[in-house]
Amino acid sequence: MTEFEIASSLEEALALVAEGYRPIAGGTDLVVAARTGRAPLPGRLVSIERLDELSGIEPTTEGLLIGAVVTHARLMRTQSVIDDFTALADASALVGSPSTRNVGTIGGNVMNASPAMDTGAPLVVLNAEIVLRSTRGERRVAAADFWAGPGRTVAEPDELCVALAIPNQPDGSASAYVRLEYRRAMEIAVVGAAARVDLDGRGRIIGASVALTAVAPTIVAVDGATEVLAGRSLDPATLTDIADAASRKATPISDLRASDTYRRHCVGVMARRAVEAAFGRATGDPIAVPVNRSTGIGAAR
Amino acid sequence: MAIAAESIDRRPRLVRADGPEKVTGTALYTADLRMTGMLAAKFLFAEVAHARITRLDVSGARLVPGVFAVLTAADLPDVRYSAGVADRTLFARDVVRFEGEVVAAVAAVTDEAARRAIDAIIVDYEPLAIVDDPEAARADDAPLVHPHWADYESDPSLVRHGNVAAFSSIARGDVDAGMAQADVVVAGRYVADGSHAAPIEPRAVVARWEGEKVTIWTSSQVPFAARDGVCETLRLPTNRVRVIVPHLGGGFGGKCGFHFEPHVAALARAARRPVKLVFTRREEFIAPDRRRESMIIEITTGVNNDGTIVARRGHVILDNGAYIADAAFFPQLAAMHVAGPYVIPNIEISAELVYTNHQPSGSVRAPTAPQTTWARESHTDEVAAAVGLDPVEFRLLNAVDTAKIGPTGQTYDEIGLIECIRRAADSAGWGRPLPDDEAIGVAIGWWPSFPVASGAYVKLDSDGAGQIITGAQECGTGAVMTLRRLAADELGMQPDDFQIVGQDTAVAPYDVGATGSQTLFNNGRAVVAAAGQVAEQLRNLAADRLEASAADIVLDSGVAHVAGTPDRNVSIIELAAIAARGELLIGHGSGQPPATPEISGTTCVGDQGMAAWVAPQFSCHAVRVKLDRDTGVVRVLEVDAVHDSGTIINHLGAVGQVEGGVMMGVGQALSEGTVYGDGRQRNAALLEYKLQTAADSPTVRTQFVEIATEGAGPRGAKGLAEAPNVATAGAVANAIARLTGERLRRLPMTPERVWEVMG
Ligand SMILES: Cc1cc2nc3c(=O)[nH]c(=O)nc-3n(C[C@H](O)[C@H](O)[C@H](O)COP(=O)(O)OP(=O)(O)OC[C@H]3O[C@@H](n4cnc5c(N)ncnc54)[C@H](O)[C@@H]3O)c2cc1C
Repeated sequence: MTEFEIASSLEEALALVAEGYRPIAGGTDLVVAARTGRAPLPGRLVSIERLDELSGIEPTTEGLLIGAVVTHARLMRTQSVIDDFTALADASALVGSPSTRNVGTIGGNVMNASPAMDTGAPLVVLNAEIVLRSTRGERRVAAADFWAGPGRTVAEPDELCVALAIPNQPDGSASAYVRLEYRRAMEIAVVGAAARVDLDGRGRIIGASVALTAVAPTIVAVDGATEVLAGRSLDPATLTDIADAASRKATPISDLRASDTYRRHCVGVMARRAVEAAFGRATGDPIAVPVNRSTGIGAAR
Repeated sequence: MAIAAESIDRRPRLVRADGPEKVTGTALYTADLRMTGMLAAKFLFAEVAHARITRLDVSGARLVPGVFAVLTAADLPDVRYSAGVADRTLFARDVVRFEGEVVAAVAAVTDEAARRAIDAIIVDYEPLAIVDDPEAARADDAPLVHPHWADYESDPSLVRHGNVAAFSSIARGDVDAGMAQADVVVAGRYVADGSHAAPIEPRAVVARWEGEKVTIWTSSQVPFAARDGVCETLRLPTNRVRVIVPHLGGGFGGKCGFHFEPHVAALARAARRPVKLVFTRREEFIAPDRRRESMIIEITTGVNNDGTIVARRGHVILDNGAYIADAAFFPQLAAMHVAGPYVIPNIEISAELVYTNHQPSGSVRAPTAPQTTWARESHTDEVAAAVGLDPVEFRLLNAVDTAKIGPTGQTYDEIGLIECIRRAADSAGWGRPLPDDEAIGVAIGWWPSFPVASGAYVKLDSDGAGQIITGAQECGTGAVMTLRRLAADELGMQPDDFQIVGQDTAVAPYDVGATGSQTLFNNGRAVVAAAGQVAEQLRNLAADRLEASAADIVLDSGVAHVAGTPDRNVSIIELAAIAARGELLIGHGSGQPPATPEISGTTCVGDQGMAAWVAPQFSCHAVRVKLDRDTGVVRVLEVDAVHDSGTIINHLGAVGQVEGGVMMGVGQALSEGTVYGDGRQRNAALLEYKLQTAADSPTVRTQFVEIATEGAGPRGAKGLAEAPNVATAGAVANAIARLTGERLRRLPMTPERVWEVMG
């Protein structure tokens, strides 16, 4: 038997979570995991999906505050996300199918902490923070420090993710997310990569960040992306270097979806393509969301 | 999916008759049925690939609150069954031979209680050697899946030995001499993984007894076979078992044969309550004895420098899995596909169906054809390349055609294969320049029509409304449309004037079911015959009324009129009212199935009657693909599918069949393959067993080369349901090979495999 409460306020939700209730938003991870026998449904659930306090997309002076229960469908269609935090829109637009995107939330994606989660790498390259709240108070954790392992985060059991805070990106910056997928819907990332590149007034790369999906127990950032890319033009040698840096960072497993060798190779390809797409966007190339669809087959250009 | 302008039906459209209830959710499927007192069934599956049962104790299950029945082999008649070889029992006896074998079954008040009861069953196993590799399983010292194979009752025409459940060969001419005389000899070995029918509706069965009679609602493609399976295994006469199929959520061959109807019927009898079984997705993957078998296919072809094929030798190993199910004829059918629709004077092809500890193989849409055709058509491109011929030219040169003699000595009346090849190549723009990551591949295919007995009744009631009472099973193939059209045309009425009553073995005459692309072919004949009897009754009634000779009465547009004088008429509604007070308007029909053609000069060992085909269907698919060279990801962009399936009776429905078959073929080509580990399926779930999605579907342009074929189905129609699933994978392979240079000889051609072959 599962007890199921529908919270009518954030306060109530926090109180129930403090009592040991597990939050449920869209349920696309929680319920599916129970149905397939991966994890039984928790004994006590509190639905947070209808809380107004968690469903805003608010511009702030520092950036954008995205409520935890904002769905992928909403994210991929929100103009400010598309314009300024494009990698996140790329990622949300790839999640599952239209129905998955209509119910699945960004908070659920972040808290579920799958190594194959699509919004993680974008949040890392965009320097986002996860906003956690409990009856004890509120704190923020950088995305890069948030995931502790498959299915594990640094959040305490009584903490609710209330929002994602993404700082304003510098002028001349753009981002992109691409993933390797074997089919065009109902897919899970075989590997993926997000990239952010910052250009100066003359179009030269002055900063960059690359993060990888599904090649390690958590989302991982590629070390020294700025060092690899800064000051260089995106010629084949530069792109090979960033691909190699990504492949080196990867510690993938072999499973039904792919071998470790293939994953390591492909994550380099994805990193290269993410950088190319981000650079393209930074220089005014209108690459539509998601990159995977606008550049042709699979994740290919 | 786009439908190209030229294929848009110019004839009146027949709207899918069961569409509205399906899209509005009012259609009832088996799992939707609810009955007072109904219990939930659950099975205990082996969950190991091969083991001896050393202990099976169900006493704990019986004590679980809410449990009404617990069954094992000990509770049922000791019956061994299966067409071909009686190698199987309903519940495992002593030994389990695949992970999905049913060991015990329970019926309880709720799913949870049933699950708890299953968990309370104690079963101990002594592991036995797992027979995992069908090639190695043929060795004399290989462990046997069925040590007592020789004692099983079997069809005397089958050639069996040890783990080889059935051997067949087809030989004609002198292959050694042909090879010696050939200018070039090309050999290839191709390995295909197994795959699944994967219907969206996991199967469900409901059984309810009333006295000595049982009614079973089941998601079956073949209600009569389901009934006969219950009768055979529970030892009941056919008139005490009634099988009804509510709406069916797809089958694709996976729901052929009988499956779990007897288990549920036995549970319901023991529990004295109605019982419902609904499979989970995983159960749907592992338990049925219908899946597409993995294969190892070796082909050697001798060809002359001018491109004519002189000889072919071939060998196929088919993974039968643990039990034979309906696969006894697969070796010979596979051999026919290795020969292919080519003129080859000298052939020698053998095939072995080999027991392993995998899920049993059985009919899945066009059994044996996608894999063998993929291999043969890959090989065909390699042979063409060896003599420097264009693949399309090569096929035009060697394909069977009207009046030519096929590889088994069958001579063809008018057939349209050459025209299929020409049109597919034309429409695809064969030879046109393409971006360097795109290529077009072509493949041809063939498939038999299956003449079998079939029956139907047609009646018009007092208001002139018609009913077709048929044994035919609608499983998405469109019988709901074509049968109504045939009856309507016979009676000068409209398809909408008829409802179909069927899928009920107690009500309708026999039909073999939605299998072998046969419904229109055979049940169409039955419906025409039945409607013809009613037409004759109407003409006699009209003749009386109009004072004319019955021979001069024409039935058209809802009226009966005298030929040449449309004004002298009476409406069919009026005639129906007259008949309602006298001799009722009831027709019955069956008709004689067409005879199998003669062949000459062919020797078949283990003959299963597959070497000559009635009304063979032909196809050519041309496929344009795009390859991501960095990752090996292939996308199919466009498919030109041209089919000779004889006369097309319902164009819209036919296009739908082709598009669905093509999509299934794309899945087999690129993403669908079972992965085994320790003899168990590793990817028995829809996330890891990758079907193609709507988002992946290419543009499919469908064309029909319509030839009203003699000795075929109604109006010269052949079958069409399986033929579209024959050639696609081969065409995709040939397109990929043009891009990779090195050919990938593994199916499915997954991104990683394509990437590996590119080096
Ligand atoms: C068919 C299908 C396809 C999918 N495809 C993808 C894909 O392509 N990419 C991808 O990344 N994911 C995919 N997913 C996974 C899933 O849809 C996403 O992770 C989604 O974002 C989860 O959100 P949810 O609201 O449904 O989470 P839920 O299932 O409601 O919750 C997930 C977990 O997070 C916890 N949780 C939820 N909200 C909060 C909160 N605010 N604070 C604290 N804890 C919380 C829950 O307790 C639970 O442990 C797919 C799922 C399905 C079923």
